[in-house]
Amino acid sequence: MINEILQAIIFPGVLFTIAMGFLFDWLDRKTAARMQGRIGPKITGPSGILQPLADFLKLLFKEEIIPSHADRVIFLFAPALYFLAPLLSMLFIPIIGPTPLAGFEFDLLAILFLLAYAAFVVTILSYSSASSFTTIATGRLVLQYVSYEIPLVLAIITAALYSRSLSVEGIVASQSTLWNILVMPFAFGVYIIALMAELEKPPFDIPSAKTEIVAGWLTEFSGRALSFLKLTKEVGYVFGSALAVSLFLGGGLGPEVAAVPPPVLYFVYFMVKLLLVGFLIFVLKTALARIKIGQATELFWKILTPVSLAQIAFVLVLIQGGVLVAT
Amino acid sequence: MTEDKPPRKEESAGLMKYSAENLVPFGPIHPALKEPEYFKLVLEGEKIVEVIPRIGYVHRGLEKAAESRPWVQNMYMFERTCGICSFVHSLTYGQAVEGLTIYEIPRRAKFIRTIIAELERIHSHLLWVGLMGHWAGFETLFMWVWRDREVVLDLVEAISGNRIHKSMNAFCGVRRDMPEGMEDRIVERMKFLVDRANYYKGIVDTEETMLERTEDIGRVSAETAEKLCAVGPMARYVGLRRDIRLNDPYAAYDEVPFDVVTSKEGDVHALLKLRLDEMIVAANMVSYAVKHLPEGPIRIKIPPVIPAGEHSSHSEAPRGEIFYYVKSSGGRTPDRVKSRQPTMANLPTALEILKGQTIADVPVVLTAIDPCFGCMDRMSFLDIESNRQWTWSGEELRRYGINYYFPERMKMR
Repeated sequence: MINEILQAIIFPGVLFTIAMGFLFDWLDRKTAARMQGRIGPKITGPSGILQPLADFLKLLFKEEIIPSHADRVIFLFAPALYFLAPLLSMLFIPIIGPTPLAGFEFDLLAILFLLAYAAFVVTILSYSSASSFTTIATGRLVLQYVSYEIPLVLAIITAALYSRSLSVEGIVASQSTLWNILVMPFAFGVYIIALMAELEKPPFDIPSAKTEIVAGWLTEFSGRALSFLKLTKEVGYVFGSALAVSLFLGGGLGPEVAAVPPPVLYFVYFMVKLLLVGFLIFVLKTALARIKIGQATELFWKILTPVSLAQIAFVLVLIQGGVLVAT
Repeated sequence: MTEDKPPRKEESAGLMKYSAENLVPFGPIHPALKEPEYFKLVLEGEKIVEVIPRIGYVHRGLEKAAESRPWVQNMYMFERTCGICSFVHSLTYGQAVEGLTIYEIPRRAKFIRTIIAELERIHSHLLWVGLMGHWAGFETLFMWVWRDREVVLDLVEAISGNRIHKSMNAFCGVRRDMPEGMEDRIVERMKFLVDRANYYKGIVDTEETMLERTEDIGRVSAETAEKLCAVGPMARYVGLRRDIRLNDPYAAYDEVPFDVVTSKEGDVHALLKLRLDEMIVAANMVSYAVKHLPEGPIRIKIPPVIPAGEHSSHSEAPRGEIFYYVKSSGGRTPDRVKSRQPTMANLPTALEILKGQTIADVPVVLTAIDPCFGCMDRMSFLDIESNRQWTWSGEELRRYGINYYFPERMKMR
């Protein structure tokens, strides 16, 4: 019991997830800086690896200003509610072994619920701060959400359909012979693009476009709330990549090495894949310019939704035809 | 002045017909604006139906200040009008003053002026392309372009000793000669910049997200642009062949061959390519001028008193036509100096373009004119209800300021 509680709190639970969030932030900044011909963070810690933590702590101690028009209750509590979403979702991802910390039979549905929940919380949180910029940001946020949600869920469902399981554990286990990405590369692509839209990374940083609407829905937040909102975005980054690894890249599965104990090996494989997916997103986001909200909606509805539907049809044909049936 | 004190107004009366929900402020403090300027956007959803500008946030009264300073000092003061196209301001003011004198400017000085002016054009266009990337949400383009901009700044520093405010001009000449043995370095660096410009042209032509943000954005017809007196690249991108360097050559532009780049498309994408093309032309001009630099003196010393008369001059700044008018009564200071900057001339076109665009296009379109709001700021007194205009002296302005911010202090008097 004690062991499980420690696992949930420290490793591979909450604290590990937060640490990964900081690491992703640092990698993101470092990659972007390298690609742009800059150095990036380098003072705090070796190669500036502690810079995200330092920024987080600095913001924690800053003054918190609540706009006079804001809905105080939502404004103060919604950041905490938002913070919960990716942290909870991470518990359903198997990290150090085939069994996740809090997995159950239909936990993929719980993850889908938490994705919708996070979008909902951001929307009311954005609306509660009641300024012109956040009002526009809310509109864009909702429009972007209804755009990417369908392709995102379709991509996740494709993996579930093929693996005939609605739990992340089952989906990962079914990939022991063949990774899902080899069967459904388009679903993986759609998932990554929709994930970038969910994380508001360029080219989908429309709801937080800094040259148009200041900081978007973050505009009115300061101090503690801002630090946690930023951290939540980074943790969401980690979770989104971890889900991609679990659904399409076979989680921590990989060739066995005799000398290394299985949990360590599982963890190493998982981390390598996680960082690769993260790196893919860092590179894409640095190489692209921001598009407009109408263009994003067009992209998701007119191109990516048909693509994911075609991918589902393809997978169904494979299953019906008895070719390449998952174990 | 107490009885005819104008009413304290935050908004101009024209705004009253719009409800507050539809008004989105753009500036004066906004991440997309590097200088303070205020645009009220009247929105319908994401679409802009009206833009109301309010200028004058960084008005410093340079034209008035010039009237109390010696002729020479003004040259370096006007150079500080703008932090980007600084040289061309002093050049045009200098040309206007030189027009009042009888001296001939040495040929070598004319060439050096051309070289510096074209280097400045390259630096300004590079800066603009980078900002365009920044405002379209393409940070990587911004970082790359600004890194290449350092090449020009290093050259300018090697020639003039300064990176931005070159202080190269003097009346009837330039203050510093070209350093020895710079030709090869300049030609080689210009070749590098031409390569980079071609590379960026490839990026803006092929990068899908960049195309989506710039193609078909900021369209304006040639007639509208002509009617609204667009100048510089804003005129050339709709096909008007307007370039002071060609239409009324100054410095050594009649001796250095160059093409005037025009475009027919008339959108922001065309502007991007046009400015990159102009950059290539400018780089080739610099190489040519450096290779064909004539020998001779660089300057004629002239007396500090300028003969009476009035004269005007204009030249092609990176952003468009710049205009200076000077009037002298034969003293040590000018009677009147007037300057008109390209941003002032291009703003009506920009506001016209903005109507009908979405809010996501505001930074892109406003940037497209390469605005320099600091140069542009003007100030005049106008009561829109009685349509009355008036002028205040410095003392009256001071009293109005005190009254505005501390009314109780005025009562004590």
